[in-house]
Amino acid sequence: MGKAKQQKAENVVPMTQPGPVSVIIVGAGFAGIGMAIKLKQAGITDFVILERDQRVGGTWRDNQYPGAACDIPSNLYSYSFAQNPQWSRAFSGAREILGYIDSMVDDFGLMPFIRFNTNVQGMHFDEQKGRWQLPCEDGTLWEGRSVVMASGPLANCSLPAIDGISGFAGKVIHSARWDHDYDFSGKKVAVIGTGASAVQIVPELVKQARHVTVFQRTPGWVLPRPDYRTPGWQRRLFDRFPAAQTAVREALFYGHESMALGLIWSSPLTRALEAFGRWHLRRQVKDRWMRRQLTPDYRLGCKRVLMSSDYYPALQRPNCKLVTWPIDRVSAQGICTAEGVEHRFDAIVCATGFEVSHQGTPYPVTGVGNRQLADDWSGGAQAYKSVNVAGYPNLFLTFGPNSGPGHNSALVYMESQLDYAVRGIEKILRENLRMLDVKPEVQARYNIGIQKRLAKTNWNSGCKSWYLTPDGFNATMYPGFATQYANQLRELKEKDYRLVPA
Amino acid sequence: MANIDLDKMLEKVKSSQWLLADIDWDAPGAEMISDEQRPKLTRFMSDLVWIEHVGARGFAAMAKNAPDDTLRQLYTYFHAEEQRHANAELALMRRWGMLEEGDIPVPNNSIRLSIEWLDRYADDLPYHVLGSVIPALEVALDGALCKFLLDEVSDPVCHDVFARINDDESRHLGVGFTVMEMQGHDKTLLDLVEMITPAVDLRVVLGLVVYWPLLNKMRDNVVAMGLPEEKLFGAMKKFEKIGGRTAAGRRNPFFRVISAHMKTVMDRDQLFYHVPVDLMVRLTDRIPRRLLPAVPSWVKELTAEPYA
Ligand SMILES: Cc1cc2nc3c(=O)[nH]c(=O)nc-3n(C[C@H](O)[C@H](O)[C@H](O)COP(=O)(O)OP(=O)(O)OC[C@H]3O[C@@H](n4cnc5c(N)ncnc54)[C@H](O)[C@@H]3O)c2cc1C
Ligand SMILES: [Fe+2]
Ligand SMILES: [Fe+2]
Repeated sequence: MGKAKQQKAENVVPMTQPGPVSVIIVGAGFAGIGMAIKLKQAGITDFVILERDQRVGGTWRDNQYPGAACDIPSNLYSYSFAQNPQWSRAFSGAREILGYIDSMVDDFGLMPFIRFNTNVQGMHFDEQKGRWQLPCEDGTLWEGRSVVMASGPLANCSLPAIDGISGFAGKVIHSARWDHDYDFSGKKVAVIGTGASAVQIVPELVKQARHVTVFQRTPGWVLPRPDYRTPGWQRRLFDRFPAAQTAVREALFYGHESMALGLIWSSPLTRALEAFGRWHLRRQVKDRWMRRQLTPDYRLGCKRVLMSSDYYPALQRPNCKLVTWPIDRVSAQGICTAEGVEHRFDAIVCATGFEVSHQGTPYPVTGVGNRQLADDWSGGAQAYKSVNVAGYPNLFLTFGPNSGPGHNSALVYMESQLDYAVRGIEKILRENLRMLDVKPEVQARYNIGIQKRLAKTNWNSGCKSWYLTPDGFNATMYPGFATQYANQLRELKEKDYRLVPA
Repeated sequence: MANIDLDKMLEKVKSSQWLLADIDWDAPGAEMISDEQRPKLTRFMSDLVWIEHVGARGFAAMAKNAPDDTLRQLYTYFHAEEQRHANAELALMRRWGMLEEGDIPVPNNSIRLSIEWLDRYADDLPYHVLGSVIPALEVALDGALCKFLLDEVSDPVCHDVFARINDDESRHLGVGFTVMEMQGHDKTLLDLVEMITPAVDLRVVLGLVVYWPLLNKMRDNVVAMGLPEEKLFGAMKKFEKIGGRTAAGRRNPFFRVISAHMKTVMDRDQLFYHVPVDLMVRLTDRIPRRLLPAVPSWVKELTAEPYA
């Protein structure tokens, strides 16, 4: 059995013999693929991508639920170094985004670098050799002078911690692990959760299922999403004149940048956006009580703003019902709520988000002197400019601590991280360094500044969200404009690092 | 009961949930309701359902205005639990043949006006006002109405249902009194004045116009059922005693106003109050149905069905 699996893996990947490489990239999502492209463009080809799944795509491979799409316009939710003139919609669907990632893999010839079905189980830094060692589930051990940890902040999902959910007799589906073989027609379905995924799923589900009940704990701010099919002339224009697409991208970028003023900090723009949200609600929902149920009681921006024009109408369809009673437990046949009723279902869809680790690490990471990253992060994850962590030399993070955007495309942030990592890796290789390690005092100073700035943001204004640890520490978001974030990463300052030659 | 730990209370509430489905609605005992009892009991139960339901809406408003997350969660549960009480009482009515399947009792005009008022204004009401009114009503319910019902009705299913309801109510009261004390704590006279000032506005006056006749009408209904007035009076004494147990509790101005008012309601000799208010009751009753605003949609959430 184990042998058959290994053989299959060998069929998929040409590489069979792990050997020391310059760079190991963990994960073949947007970040891992982007990193590989940047390395190739910098002339570094001695790298490998380890991916636990059988295909690339990460988030967009996993989140294939009906309605899955980005909520930042595609022209901005894409890499500037690999623009796609062919986006079919302003906000493209998961399948199309996955296709875009596939096409980057093809266009930049990355397939030979990727080793699939390779689940990294930990990483350990060998100080003497100046090499990271990565044991994998299939028994292989990979060695690299540097590592890019691109395993994604939202790659692990789990069922919500509701009593009895494992004993439910019907079908349970997590939004990030959709079961495309399950036929919803004629079914009575529950959706738990009303976040970013739920507002995309519900409008599609009400078209398929006999009845949909949406269980809401806290309502989110919803703004209309100006989605449209892109006209043919636009695609031809972008195809012929890439500069036109770049111009549109720039405009979108600055449009989103300006939103930071309202989304990140409390300002008159926040009030204006809240008024806009309430207007959207009033326009789409006629019933006063339902509007009350859907009105958020926290400041806009504190949690991710939801973008949807069809969520509210879907909730009001005759075959849909919004339930705001607290959930007590899941029984064999349905969901029991505190108003004393057992709501019975054929299927439960959990759109309850992801296991975001603010404190731990997805696998053990052992640095200099056997220190454990999980220990260093037990009070909340910290890094230097979100990319490096003191005591863990030659390690580069994508989507690391305090790199989350509240108002702009994650990929814009990602590009800066990738360029910064390339600079670090180039330095290690060119100057033949055994260790490039950020100084602990530099990292500490950086984080004092970050936390001070975070205290003034909407995220830290009192709501509960996955941005914060249970203690209210924000290890997730970057308190500033994307431009500021990019500027700080523009240059790798040698004095910030401890350089140890080989 | 003094100063309970609200976080522990929340855990207790979460672990004490029950369902309509936990009760065997077809168990023997329904026949114990006599034909003589039935019409009065129907009116009594209808009132009870609506009081629970109006109370539920009150808790929903408290959840909106709660000062911290624990209280917000507690009130969110209490909102649902009052709904559960109303649902269970509906199921009892159906068991006793007082309701057709899918029916809910017709609310009287006072109830209709209260619902309308709550729906429009309760969310904007200062937190302290509801924080004192709700416990007062709950004591009246708990201490008088429910006990009386259990004296009158011997159906074991009814006793089972009210054992569960009263268990919930004891937690509502525990939180209610703790909050009233918290509000009276460490307050200077100035703070107290500040607490009261926002409560005095037109909405509140409008509320009183609805609330006073509602109480009188309910009192009349239960007395018509045979509930001795002394029992009601006793219940209000209890409210005064528990709420006024500590100096902090006594200092809460809303507590003082409300307990004085409750006593007045129960004491028919206070003519200067009852003559005008009873007149208001009659006027309220006269309002033609078609002039009343449509019931808000939350009312349609009432159900006697254990499963949905
Ligand atoms: C439904 C959804 C919608 C989103 N929409 C937007 C949007 O509109 N705009 C926006 O800016 N952001 C959006 N995001 C955020 C999104 O996560 C990021 O934009 C981006 O896709 C993250 O890419 P990544 O490569 O960092 O991580 P991922 O895409 O998660 O990729 C990580 C990869 O690493 C692999 N991996 C993980 N652990 C291991 C291991 N131990 N060993 C080997 N491989 C491993 C995983 O299998 C995966 O392939 C959305 C997220 C979700 C879930
Ligand atoms: Fe009750
Ligand atoms: Fe109660």
